[in-house]
Amino acid sequence: MFDQEAIKQQFPILKQRTPQGQRLVYLDNAATCHKPQSVVDAIADFYTKGYSTVGRASYWPASETTRAFNKIRLKVQHLIGAKHQEEVVFTFGTTDGINKVANSFLRPQLNKGDEVIISEMEHHANLLPWQQICEEKEAELKVIPMLDSGELDYEAYDSMLNENVKLVAITGISNALGIKNDLKQVVSKAKAYNIPVFIDAAQSLAHDAVNVSELECDFLVFSGHKLYGPTGIGVLYGKRHLLESMQPLSLGGGIVKRVTVDHSTFQDSPSKHEAGTPNIAGVFGLGAAIDFVNSVGYDQIEAYAHELTVYAIEGLSPIKGLRIIGPTENRAPVVSFVMDGIHPHDLGTFLNEKGICIRAGHHCAQPLMDRLKLTATARASFAIYNTKSDIDALIDALDEANEFFL
Amino acid sequence: MNDRIKALYQSHILASARDETHLGKLTDATHILEAYNPMCGDKYTLYLKIVEERVEKASFEGMGCAISKASTVVLSKSIQGKSLEEIKPLVEMFFELVNEASTKSPESLTENEDLLAFAAAREFPERKTCATLSWGELKTII
Repeated sequence: MFDQEAIKQQFPILKQRTPQGQRLVYLDNAATCHKPQSVVDAIADFYTKGYSTVGRASYWPASETTRAFNKIRLKVQHLIGAKHQEEVVFTFGTTDGINKVANSFLRPQLNKGDEVIISEMEHHANLLPWQQICEEKEAELKVIPMLDSGELDYEAYDSMLNENVKLVAITGISNALGIKNDLKQVVSKAKAYNIPVFIDAAQSLAHDAVNVSELECDFLVFSGHKLYGPTGIGVLYGKRHLLESMQPLSLGGGIVKRVTVDHSTFQDSPSKHEAGTPNIAGVFGLGAAIDFVNSVGYDQIEAYAHELTVYAIEGLSPIKGLRIIGPTENRAPVVSFVMDGIHPHDLGTFLNEKGICIRAGHHCAQPLMDRLKLTATARASFAIYNTKSDIDALIDALDEANEFFL
Repeated sequence: MNDRIKALYQSHILASARDETHLGKLTDATHILEAYNPMCGDKYTLYLKIVEERVEKASFEGMGCAISKASTVVLSKSIQGKSLEEIKPLVEMFFELVNEASTKSPESLTENEDLLAFAAAREFPERKTCATLSWGELKTII
């Protein structure tokens, strides 16, 4: 039985009042979402009840920490359906994971005349690292265009695939518009040419179950903080043979078998790719976040997200001068919109005065904004703790904004 | 933010943003400045006719949010007819007005309510770039 109120109660920040004494209506979940008490407790417990390093020391509490830490790697493995726990590498976040794969996987093998495919709706994080390496190597960065409907142009994608393509890097869900991409189609078509596929799942894991084994993607990255976990922790999934064949993602302590001043040999994955003391508290927080997500269940998360999205689109659409950007179907609970005569930044400031947090701007997706011939949108994005009354508050405030600005 | 500034922000900034007195291209401009914020796409072209170190006419074209537009309107209004010598302290005062780290109260800096309204930016540091977009460009020629 889905008890949304009980879930909401687990988020202490929602009991806070804004400086003006209002209820907090937090609708910027695509940027980052709030933490249930269990995540806060997991981090605090680690620091207060058993703090130590991990994987290096044989005293209490380090041995305890190492055991618990390794269990969380298994939790992540099960969450994303990886075949082996060695395929789960802890990073500092999605951006970190992308940069690391760009440097350790793509850079050493990319040559002049090679090609890399991304899409028009990528977040800058899933564009800049590939763009820079392509420039450096005189390779071509090709961009799958978006149809007016908001869907990717899969026919154009077909025509881009060839033997020179060394990687397809694509987002699961557009952070700016909430469009869900058909990853199965993207991966299976690339596989026909033996092209590895990299998935930016920063938005996906918060809303949809993802199974890397079924998807057959080669890499997938996500962040803890968009999945009810802490900041500064993320995951890189990579197929075992790829992670084994790659150079370490970064260099430092904890990754070696033998070091002399002339030469070093490295451990197997994942140790090889996790140089330095990891964000141990972050890993414990992530573990608690995964427990939280599992306790709600992806079926429920997806169904509730759909319910809120439909409710929001129905409620926002009739507002005078308001235009929703992107498709109305098959979208994540991320609703981008513009209003006639009201700049999104002004709208953001106006809503802040009412205790409503939305995001305004280009959402780190300037090529997408260029495609839409917009400079900015207002974006409301929902999480499991949001309610229809949050959306009602937004709708009422937008009606007031029309009165105020026009 | 005190209530007066808040009220000014709500009343004066929106009114200024709608003021079209200085809107349009100046065909005899001696200086044309581009004020552009690539982060949000706000873009204004400032046209100044400066004769013997004095701004005879100021106007602008462009698009952006209410705050950047209002500040460009107020800038045009404030500098038209003034010498560059007079404009320099005015620009400095404006930056002080929006600076949240300033030790000076907004009211001690200006009595002009159109300008005073921008002290609200002290409360919204993320909107400071909107308020100072055109003023920053003006700074480059004085």
